[in-house]
Amino acid sequence: MTDTILQTAPGKTSDTAEIVLSVQNLSTEFHSKKGIVRAVDGMSFDLRKREILAIVGESGSGKSVTSLSIMGLLPHPAGRIADGRVLFEGRDLGQLSDRDMRKIRGTGLAMIFQEPLTSLNPVLPIGRQMTEGIMQHLGLGLAEARERAIEMMRSVSIPAPEARLKDFPHQYSGGMLQRIMIAIAMSCDPRILIADEPTTALDVTIQAQILDLMRTLRDRTGASIVLITHDMGVVAELADRVIVMYCGRKVEEGLVEKVFHRPRHPYTLGLLGSLPILGQAGAVGDTELTEIPGVVPSLDALPPGCRFSERCGFATDRCRAEDPPFEEAAPGHFTACWHSDQLERAAR
Amino acid sequence: MARFLVHRLFAAVLTIFVTTIAVSMLIHLVPGDPVQIMYAQSQGTTPEELDAVRERLGLDRPLVEQYISYLGRTLRGDLGVTIRGEQPVLELLLARLPNTLILAASALFIASIIGLSFGFVAAYKRGTWLDTTLMTTAILGVSMPHFWLGLILLFYFAVQLGWFPVAGSGFPNLVLPAMTLGLTNAAIIARLTRSSMIDIFDQDFVRTAHAKGLPKAVVLYRHALRAGLVPIVTMMGLQFTYMMGGAIVVENVFGWNGVGRMAIQAIFQRDYPLIQGFILMFAIVVVLVSIMMDVVYVLLDPRIRH
Repeated sequence: MTDTILQTAPGKTSDTAEIVLSVQNLSTEFHSKKGIVRAVDGMSFDLRKREILAIVGESGSGKSVTSLSIMGLLPHPAGRIADGRVLFEGRDLGQLSDRDMRKIRGTGLAMIFQEPLTSLNPVLPIGRQMTEGIMQHLGLGLAEARERAIEMMRSVSIPAPEARLKDFPHQYSGGMLQRIMIAIAMSCDPRILIADEPTTALDVTIQAQILDLMRTLRDRTGASIVLITHDMGVVAELADRVIVMYCGRKVEEGLVEKVFHRPRHPYTLGLLGSLPILGQAGAVGDTELTEIPGVVPSLDALPPGCRFSERCGFATDRCRAEDPPFEEAAPGHFTACWHSDQLERAAR
Repeated sequence: MARFLVHRLFAAVLTIFVTTIAVSMLIHLVPGDPVQIMYAQSQGTTPEELDAVRERLGLDRPLVEQYISYLGRTLRGDLGVTIRGEQPVLELLLARLPNTLILAASALFIASIIGLSFGFVAAYKRGTWLDTTLMTTAILGVSMPHFWLGLILLFYFAVQLGWFPVAGSGFPNLVLPAMTLGLTNAAIIARLTRSSMIDIFDQDFVRTAHAKGLPKAVVLYRHALRAGLVPIVTMMGLQFTYMMGGAIVVENVFGWNGVGRMAIQAIFQRDYPLIQGFILMFAIVVVLVSIMMDVVYVLLDPRIRH
């Protein structure tokens, strides 16, 4: 089975680290009043041990839905996985019982969210929210779980953790709460941490600290990280590899340095164009910040052909009529664009 | 917390003070001469006797003076005597109050058990036939007048099946009136619980609890229910005072010997001192319960506590 996964796995061919998570042709649908919309459409990727994989895109690109689909936390009953599968260490998560899935959450897959304040229970003390998972998964008693919680709080640099166990979420600052979220997520040594916009709600200075903390934890524990973000700056800061999503599909995938240096999809170019680059004129075309014109089309009114064609400066008649396949444009660098070669020349 | 309590107590005293004004003026709100109305049903009272009553009740003096003397007496714990039995009002009320409190508390207990479980299940199963069934039942419950449900229960369970006594005071007698009062109020709690829990189930922290891999029961009870209880418990305090009001009707249907039944009798007999005493006591109970609920609210929600 490993062989088949390796064949479809993009990335450096020299990279032979064990694949811990394999998402294969995942499609997720939502039932709404207007009908069924496909928020994620045929998403595939592999995540290797110790790897930090970023999934980027604007709101509505399907990146968060992808992460919730992996965790089995889609809003019920509106959302459901319509097709494809998610393999965690070779086990098909869709085939697991609810009970087995709960065992994997926390120990195999852990997740942190965008808003730490609303993501923690307002009426339970932090200590309780930290120890409950530890007691559940590691089978420790309350006293030992408390020790473990304090140790975890120390590892994410919470000052005076013993005194802060009895505090409630509203008594912490946003940055400290996100540290707590990370401490909770890491407390049962998960193999994979899924971070859904972990720094979006935080101040810029705090953002850098949190990203730093995540990298340190990856180095220390050997966990892999799936980083969901809309911010190319965060991707550059932390990720090894990046997948760019648009309207529920991958449009580009490759190592961060390759994708940043030579983007092969106009959407990626647009995302990079809205990223300020200090003291480095012309790296992605211009020193002036640019933005992508228009808005993400509604999922129930997608254009025929390439989904990005309506907003794309490179779009031709072919783009508007035919959907480009997702193909390898250069070794380990994949894209879904009819004009990726032309784009490469333009970037040069 | 201490400051909060002082603040609440001050508001409570103010509320009761305003109530005393209303209560003391009550006697003049009814058109016509209060003393004549009071004695309208008794034959052969002479004008002199009526004047004596007027003097005794102080009705011949200016309103402000009447109020000050009423307030003074009330503060000393003297609520006057009834117009017929000449018994002290306070003593009568205090003798019956425990019965009403027991009835209201039992009803609240029944309402909470049924309301919380119906509402919780309906929220959890939202959009299913079970949700629809439970909530339709709840609407029926809300719409049903106390006296009517009381009569139905009385007819089936007391008269036809003979499981419970028809009237009187004592534990077996408590069941039917408590059910009557509880069932109609359970419906209100069920609807509130449902909307509160639906709101909570969609919260980020519930998703986090699932993401931690906690068992479903732990997520539902420790995380969701605990957080959802805050508005529900506050509502229950209000319900308790509604039930005190509902008890007036239910006590009469079942012949339960509480203050509500006494109040109705007092109204029929135009026994102003007793009615005044009843209203004042009722106001005090409502105010006390709402203070208690404020305290519970603070204890349940740490965001307010700090």
